[in-house]
Amino acid sequence: MEIDVDNRRVRIEAGVKWQQLTDELAKKGMRMIMPLLPPAGRSVLTDYLEREVPTNVVYDYGEPMQSLEVVWPTGEIFRMGSASVNGYPDSASKGANPSGPGIDFYRFVQGAQGTMGVVTWLNLKIESIPKIDKVFLAPVDDLAYAQDFLYRVLPRRIGQECLLLNNVDLAAIIAEKWPSDFESLRAALPPWTLVLVVSGLLRRPEEKIAYEENFLKQVVRNEFRKMEIQDNLPGVPGVGRKLLTLLRKPWPEDNTYWKNVWKGSSQSLFFIARPSATPLYADIVKKIVPQYGYPVNDVGMYIQPIEHNRACHMEFTFFYNPANAADKARIGDLYRNVAISLLNQGAFFSRPYGELAAMMYERASGYTMALKRLKKVFDPKNIMNPGNLCF
Amino acid sequence: MPKKQVSLDVRQLDNFVYDMSRCIKCKGCYWVEHTYMPGVNFSTRCPSNTWNDFDSYGAFGKMRIGMAVAEGRLPWTPKLLEIIYADPLCGACDVGCKRNLDLEIELSLEALRVKAVKDGAGPMPAHKKVAENIAKTHNQFGSPHESRKKWLSGDIQVASKTDVLYFVGCSASYLNPEIARATAKILNASGTPFMLMADEWCCGNTLYSVGMVDEAQALARRNIDAVKATGAKTVILSCAEGYRMWKADYPKMLNVATKDLGFQVMHLVEFADAMVKKGTLKPTKPVNARAAYHDSCSISRLADSWTPWSGERGWMGTVSPALKRRRGTEGLYAPPRNLLKAIPGINFVEMPRTRENAFCCGAGRGTKEAFPQLASFSAKHRLDEVKSVGAELLVSACPWCKNNFAQVAKETGNSVKVMDIAELILASVKG
Amino acid sequence: MAIVKEAYKALEAIVGPKYISDDPAICEGYRSGPGGYESGLGYERVMTKIPAVVILPRNTEEVQRIVKVCNRYKVPYVPYSTGFYGPRSHCHVDNELLVDLKRLNDFEIDEKHFYAVVGSGVVYSPLQEEAMKRGAYVVIGGGGAQASVIANLIGDGWSPLSHRIGLPHRRILGTEVVLPDGELLKLGTLAVGEDPFWGDGIGPDLRGLLRGYTGLRGCLGIVTKMAVKLLPFQPERLVPTGISPNTALALPEKRVKWVNYQMPSKEAQVKAMFEIGKAEVGGAVTKVPLFWRAIAKAESKEQFWEIWGKENADTIKNFHIVRVLFIGFTSEEQMQYDENVIGDIMKELGAITRPTKPSDESWIKNADSAGMWLMCGSYVSVDYVIETLSQAVVHGNSYADLKWKYTPPLMPDYGDPGWFQSFELGHQGYSEFLIYWDQDEDTTGVDHFYLETSKMNIKNRYYTSLLGPHQPLYLTGPKYGPNYHQWLLKIKDEFDPLWVSHPPVPLAHDAFVDKAEWMKPLKDWESPKIPTKY
Repeated sequence: MEIDVDNRRVRIEAGVKWQQLTDELAKKGMRMIMPLLPPAGRSVLTDYLEREVPTNVVYDYGEPMQSLEVVWPTGEIFRMGSASVNGYPDSASKGANPSGPGIDFYRFVQGAQGTMGVVTWLNLKIESIPKIDKVFLAPVDDLAYAQDFLYRVLPRRIGQECLLLNNVDLAAIIAEKWPSDFESLRAALPPWTLVLVVSGLLRRPEEKIAYEENFLKQVVRNEFRKMEIQDNLPGVPGVGRKLLTLLRKPWPEDNTYWKNVWKGSSQSLFFIARPSATPLYADIVKKIVPQYGYPVNDVGMYIQPIEHNRACHMEFTFFYNPANAADKARIGDLYRNVAISLLNQGAFFSRPYGELAAMMYERASGYTMALKRLKKVFDPKNIMNPGNLCF
Repeated sequence: MPKKQVSLDVRQLDNFVYDMSRCIKCKGCYWVEHTYMPGVNFSTRCPSNTWNDFDSYGAFGKMRIGMAVAEGRLPWTPKLLEIIYADPLCGACDVGCKRNLDLEIELSLEALRVKAVKDGAGPMPAHKKVAENIAKTHNQFGSPHESRKKWLSGDIQVASKTDVLYFVGCSASYLNPEIARATAKILNASGTPFMLMADEWCCGNTLYSVGMVDEAQALARRNIDAVKATGAKTVILSCAEGYRMWKADYPKMLNVATKDLGFQVMHLVEFADAMVKKGTLKPTKPVNARAAYHDSCSISRLADSWTPWSGERGWMGTVSPALKRRRGTEGLYAPPRNLLKAIPGINFVEMPRTRENAFCCGAGRGTKEAFPQLASFSAKHRLDEVKSVGAELLVSACPWCKNNFAQVAKETGNSVKVMDIAELILASVKG
Repeated sequence: MAIVKEAYKALEAIVGPKYISDDPAICEGYRSGPGGYESGLGYERVMTKIPAVVILPRNTEEVQRIVKVCNRYKVPYVPYSTGFYGPRSHCHVDNELLVDLKRLNDFEIDEKHFYAVVGSGVVYSPLQEEAMKRGAYVVIGGGGAQASVIANLIGDGWSPLSHRIGLPHRRILGTEVVLPDGELLKLGTLAVGEDPFWGDGIGPDLRGLLRGYTGLRGCLGIVTKMAVKLLPFQPERLVPTGISPNTALALPEKRVKWVNYQMPSKEAQVKAMFEIGKAEVGGAVTKVPLFWRAIAKAESKEQFWEIWGKENADTIKNFHIVRVLFIGFTSEEQMQYDENVIGDIMKELGAITRPTKPSDESWIKNADSAGMWLMCGSYVSVDYVIETLSQAVVHGNSYADLKWKYTPPLMPDYGDPGWFQSFELGHQGYSEFLIYWDQDEDTTGVDHFYLETSKMNIKNRYYTSLLGPHQPLYLTGPKYGPNYHQWLLKIKDEFDPLWVSHPPVPLAHDAFVDKAEWMKPLKDWESPKIPTKY
């Protein structure tokens, strides 16, 4: 791990895990722009290669990933972006540019689920830890209204972490005692909670908080009176502070991952969507799941706004007992059916795992053909994870 | 590199080889100036290249073609002649280029036409007809010379000798008597005595514009001498094309400065604006209309005074002595707008493309005669813009603009009323 | 020059006789030089030709059919939107078809989701105006408001506004590409439907085929449609004022403002950029090379040289301006916050705030990039690098040293090599080196300098824009990756087996070195014979 504070960059090898990275960065007053609750023991590199969507909306400029090194299926070592200079890292070039050389190789490797090569290290952007954080929460029962609110405020560059969690997901994340806490939280929490962290950065932190807060107050007062944004959630004391800690750190290794505590396992269906379409998608899921005997109130939902709310990541989680074969099979069927219905309504599965891949590649025949031609160039013998994606 | 003798004389294409060779293909000659870009609609100001999409029809294409002509690499063909002549020489390219650079685009285009004529290839047959008409009857249309003053009505006072001379021009004399009368009556109403030329001949606009520089120069000399003989101190025109000829192209051909002509050249809009400010012209009667104003090219981009120049070009392309280039900064933009705003009842609206970004009507400088389809296309395109601002009245300051707009409006069933600013002023002054 | 009659007829059947021509006068209008970007140099003289035929399609379908005809009859073609990029965007071989994309000028905008959909013929200033009408903005690349949006986003595409979103390929959403063999590739959400709002691939992202830091100059197909990200701006109008040549946008000072800070040293200038990045404020940040100020003041070449002649290495050494664009994205209060923060930084560094005009003559609409040619008549940006601020600093020094050796014929810049700024809030640094010369002089030195810059980058281990088609592929290839050239050529062979798409790119600069006698002494690397596969 190489931390370059001046250029706000860290270079990590494939084996670096979230806990290690966040700890080391914190020592230097730095942090990652992270996806939601990555497990402490998971490879950081994998998450960025898989284009996990960050909880922080502050970037105007895409993602944290910069240059990287790959071993191609042919066995050749290859460095991409500005790390491609001969002699890297002993070079003036620090690897901050992911693009090139000649062609944007890194894009072939991202999202590839190991089919294009093995990434050995990569460079990532890091940010300073804010000096002050204020967590705002708002209960939401009208998702469309909340999306309108986000369409209004996020382009004004408000907030750091900003996300919507339904009662099931939020309860599962913050519950300490199971099942009592979880059940009472699930019942007490509003259908959705908007979590919005407003932070003061390195300089004049109070002024930054002040202008963001003032703007929010004004918008709520003049345009969105039903958004009850406060620094607490009625009926759930301390949840803001708790969430902030959770959002800035990986999920502890010695705790069962929050998605798997309730029933033992879960399957998440996630995609990229237009934010205005999310109420429709939620409705579709609610209509379909009862057909498989899955209670509507047991579906976890998470919406992650992306870049000024131009798009969002939407994620449905279905919880099940892995020891129960019927349960497992039912979830499989439900999952497939929900995916097809959402796909038909414009949901974009850009990271399709398992059978979702076949679904997507069948629809995207031109893209699939081109992808196969590209794969032939890098892996002529198809030795890297054959059967994955469309290969 | 040794220094090269250069001048702004369009009779020698060689004077413009540097300019043509340094075109960077930025298309500042084609687009509305980017600061004023109104959006995806009405985004261009080159009529030729908006009409025909091949690069060759834009100035940036013509600069490359011009190099080939200068180097003898391209023979004169009908297509080459079309490229060179399907162009109202509206000056958008010149001003557009000069926003950032110092290349003489307009003069290069004029020089190419002079070369075409010199080589016996140009001008277009329709232009040759105009030249014949001028030679025979001293007007472009071949109409009887003795009818030139028929527009004069009994209620107009013409002085026999005074400081101001009204040069009427062929169009107003023969096609648009309403403009001539309105101008004369405005002069009367403002208490300004004016003369007419005893024997007015064509200003030679078409001749000069199509490259018949010898014929045009002969006319220029004759006309200037005739004006000087009257003792006039100011020549007023209500035709933008004529204004440009007298103010810029006469001095250019005779290698003198505008200020050394011996008299001032003014357009009616300048004169009327001054008279309104002075209080001697009173537009008091309302004319109720939502009106747009079209900036005629020859009193806008092409209106700068002329100063002769010759010198050397040397290191890094610098010239000496220093040369202050004509960049279209003397355009008459404020006077017509002041006038429109002074007329009660006029609800004046600007179009997306105004002033030096205005889209040429497409008729002038020999275009309508030889390329009526280009002239119609340009007018229709501009009329769409008029419609886009909901204007019911279109006002301009040149009979060429008026006639072309009016004709195309009629052909396309467009109900917009087209008026010359002289008519509008008169309607408000006299009722 | 001609293409086979059957091919011409087949092409004519696609667009109609009005939109195709092989007339010599028409084709002459499409000559690359002698003026323009990177023009008046050896590459242009040796490598470019005028087209045999010019065709103007209207939409993706017509483009696809054209490319298929080219493959059927082995007609080489080059995609062309404005031609502003200079020789590399023009025909390179005999009997070539030039596909002029200007009629692909459809435009849609999704205000709520901050993107616009453009065809290859749409240029930046109409897009910027449409964006600003709706409270958004785009980054108009250094090429200027006249650059095609698509061509710029797959080629270059950066400006001081890149302080916020520097790498242009990040701004590409759903896209349509006609591959060199005529297959239609749709990227992002267009791969599965009609909605172009998102750009990621399904799994691996084939947007990687569009460019690689710098562009491929059309040798891997033709992009016909692209959804482009807009960035949220602020709500007040920027009003155009003035008459040409003195036009500018009047800025709503409480929401948009440029401020120039005079720094006490180069080190302070660099530190300011680091600190502004760390503070995560500002809408644009850039150093101002002194000769740009001279251009802005000068109305003519002669005036420029009068002003510039008064400068020397000492005056340059002591002139360090950081120019900041404040944008009140959120509110007036937020803009005040940004000003306070940067004011603190500048105070710490001993900078002086200079009075600054409340207008923008340049970057927001970028109406004046053509001014780069005012000084000498010839210009190119030799190298333009997005890496870190720390590379930018040392790169500039090496580059300036090398440049002295080639001055003249290069214009004297007294050691001020160029433009330098923070990108992506300081995570990256940008440096661009602009050179100027008079193409009527002997330009061998300029051609040599270009190649020597590439070698200097390799030797000093700098990242550079001089990759891909921009320099000999067999020179840079082994030294970056390593061997990126082999992968690039394999991809080229796979998607363009006949090499009809803009041949001989990406080997055009290799071919130039082979063909030009004066370049041969510089050739000290191995390369095979350049294939002619059509």
